[in-house]
Amino acid sequence: MRAPSGIPELDAMLHGGLMRGDVSLIVGSAGTGKTTLALQYLVNGATKFNENGLYITFEHMPSQIYRDSANFGWDIRKLEAEGKLRVVCTSPPVLVQFVEQRNPIDTIIEEINAKRIVIDSISHLEAFIPSSELRGELYRLINHLKMKELTSVFTAESHEVLGDRLVVTGVGLSFLVDCIILLRIVEIQSSLKKALTILKIRGSDHDKQLREFEITAQGIKIAAPFAQYEGVLSGAPRRSMTEAFTEAFKKGKRI
Amino acid sequence: MNETGLRDLSEKLIGTEIKAELLRLFHMNPGILDTVDSIARRIGRMPNDVETEIVTLVDLGVLRKERFGKLDVVSLNTRKDKEVQEKLVALIEGGVKE
Repeated sequence: MRAPSGIPELDAMLHGGLMRGDVSLIVGSAGTGKTTLALQYLVNGATKFNENGLYITFEHMPSQIYRDSANFGWDIRKLEAEGKLRVVCTSPPVLVQFVEQRNPIDTIIEEINAKRIVIDSISHLEAFIPSSELRGELYRLINHLKMKELTSVFTAESHEVLGDRLVVTGVGLSFLVDCIILLRIVEIQSSLKKALTILKIRGSDHDKQLREFEITAQGIKIAAPFAQYEGVLSGAPRRSMTEAFTEAFKKGKRI
Repeated sequence: MNETGLRDLSEKLIGTEIKAELLRLFHMNPGILDTVDSIARRIGRMPNDVETEIVTLVDLGVLRKERFGKLDVVSLNTRKDKEVQEKLVALIEGGVKE
């Protein structure tokens, strides 16, 4: 059973969509499109798949989310009025409060019969929860969402914009989540491009290619794989041996 | 126009700069569900200054304060807020007697 993102190329990469009831992590540095991808997953869920969604933001104000979403043609306020989507602005300590097995967001999940949830971004928990308790609290939160049968997406910030180092989070979140989608800025021929790949899906095969994507007026649009390059994830790709040989051959012929 | 009623209600709602900021914040962002400390940060004020004003708005029913574990969580009471707004409009138009 899958929860499609509604982005055809991504769903093909995921072999149908996110695994229903799983927790997925979208990780990337600032400006890579984590929030856009997460919102698109919720908007498509509400409008194309009849699955209501809850978007939890710690830093962005809902008014900013409404404004930015309008740029992609997504009317979040209308979806809220129709009871299909809800934007909640809170802080990490509220999200991890559990009283008599209930969390402050449970009422909202029940009110709108949410099937999808986005927490943007899980990195903010690190600033509010002592590091010794963080992994335990994340584990509790993940299991709480799973018990509610929500298909969840967390976003997480990666501090490395370019380069060959990649730390998803410092608390082993990558082991706790079921799926990781990596967004990366890469430099190709002196211009910055965006790349997307799926690092893991627990219990399912997936496309392992690295694909270029763009943030268009309609949201995320995924293009072809970076087939002609190697080392793209390092941020400094080079042409593959085959491509370099072909290029050299063509040049040679011209001479 | 019922001037006394209008003055009283507007005083309770927007009598101070912070109350006006809080109302603006919650009207523009009705999905806020947060602690007094975080709400204070969101409007660039100190928690102690904001707490008093939140109490007034909770008394008026516009905001809701619920205890979750160690935290007091504040949110907009959309139903009551709508009622208060309608009352304010009616007072401005002179349609409501005290």
